[in-house]
Amino acid sequence: MVQMVTGQLGAEGPYWDGLAEGRLVLQQCKRCGKWNWPAVWRCGDCGSWEHHWVEQPLTGTIFSWTRTHHRFGGTEGLELPFTTVLVTLETVPVRLQGLVEGAEEGIRIGAKVLGRIASTPFGDANIPSIRWSLA
Amino acid sequence: MTTSLSGKTAIAGVGYRQYKRGTAPWPERGVLVRAIVDACEDAGLDPADVDGFVSYGDDKNEPVRLMPDLGTKELNWSTQVWGGGGGGIAATFGIAASAILTGQAKAVVIFRALAEGNSGRLSAAVMAHHLNDHMVGVGMVAPAQVCAMRAQRLFEYHGVPHSVCEELVRASYYHGSRNPDAISYGKELDLEAFRTGRWIAEPFRLFDCSRENDGAGALLMVSAEMARDLKKTPVKLLSVAQGSEKGWGDLIENDRADLYPTAGFRAIRDKLYGMAGLTPADIDVVQLYENFSAQGVASLIDHGFCSYENVAEVLRFENLIAPSGGLPVNTSGGNLAHGFVHGFVTAVEAIRCLRGESPNLVPGAKTSLLAGGPGSPTISSAIFGVD
Repeated sequence: MVQMVTGQLGAEGPYWDGLAEGRLVLQQCKRCGKWNWPAVWRCGDCGSWEHHWVEQPLTGTIFSWTRTHHRFGGTEGLELPFTTVLVTLETVPVRLQGLVEGAEEGIRIGAKVLGRIASTPFGDANIPSIRWSLA
Repeated sequence: MTTSLSGKTAIAGVGYRQYKRGTAPWPERGVLVRAIVDACEDAGLDPADVDGFVSYGDDKNEPVRLMPDLGTKELNWSTQVWGGGGGGIAATFGIAASAILTGQAKAVVIFRALAEGNSGRLSAAVMAHHLNDHMVGVGMVAPAQVCAMRAQRLFEYHGVPHSVCEELVRASYYHGSRNPDAISYGKELDLEAFRTGRWIAEPFRLFDCSRENDGAGALLMVSAEMARDLKKTPVKLLSVAQGSEKGWGDLIENDRADLYPTAGFRAIRDKLYGMAGLTPADIDVVQLYENFSAQGVASLIDHGFCSYENVAEVLRFENLIAPSGGLPVNTSGGNLAHGFVHGFVTAVEAIRCLRGESPNLVPGAKTSLLAGGPGSPTISSAIFGVD
């Protein structure tokens, strides 16, 4: 089973396994079809314990963003400044965060982005995460 | 049967000790004992008679360890509100009142203590509570960054003008500059420094962010009846509400779109005012927990003092300062300009401003609202009043 570097693993194990394999998979309730994120063991809306994990394309729009300039402890593996975006996926009503790579001119809420799966150094670990670039 | 706790308990004693980071005279628990004894002396109650304790924000000082210093005879109530940020600050009053009104404790101290050498940096402690691989994988490791991203949406998408942050911060510094106990005593906000300060996480510059202090605060709560026999004017708890709602919380930034840029208080606003039988217009002075400028603004909007549409009309410097403004906020300087011991100074000033002990008095103030830590997954607020 996947091990977390920080915090507690919730019900999203398959998400991390997917990223490690280079795929984005997200959870959908088998009974009511709700996309639960954060992932759940039990769908809070319909009570079902059965879920699919469905691969999604890495396309979406920026919901919000911040550019970090201060060297906060834990960001040593990243070059300053770096920009983090919160992205609403195009195919499912889920937001995922990621770091921005490439040109940042014109970054704004609503801008379209394309993603790829990469990893971020954190201490001795490498944490799978998404890189987004402006489409 | 529903029993309202409104008006049945009161804060009878206040203690607050604040130091520049790294300069506290004792380790953390010693500073806390000092603040608790201050609160008891303020009320005229023997510290040995305190029989209950409540804290929040992962405080490390377990009440049982305070007993030898305080001479505690009986420990009847010892509890803490869940949540890593300042979201639980006002909820402590509800927990303490519940204990008193159900006969489980008589004299309850609400406290928070923080000294860097003992519990580490607050920002690090808060994040230790909240961090996960979703966040560190994208460089989000500090409260400032999470709040910055929400502030960006508040400004860019919802059209709240960034300038209102300056008005709010300026008012805090104006009050702090007139408070001998404040870190900003004698210094009003340097507007040029505010506008051009170094970036922390866009849209926040240095002076949008609170600075941490070492210290401890203690507020002694007893029944309203018992408070009448103590030394100071009782400041009654008129209402308190804590919690969250569907679409808000610890959701890896998947809060409902309309809630995302808020400070989270829409979940409790109606309960808060309803219990007190008051409206925002009835509040004489606001003590606002502002970890970051934009979250302070969002909190004032959530609490119904203004809206996205009229925020620039209401949040004007002249309107936010005592004694002349219509919405005096953070009359001791607040977290930004008085000092930051996990927000406790806002709770302290919510009491002092109704006792006539504020460095910036609001003449005739009868009600104060403590707006708790904004943006936390669970939040809380309280309203206080004097007869």
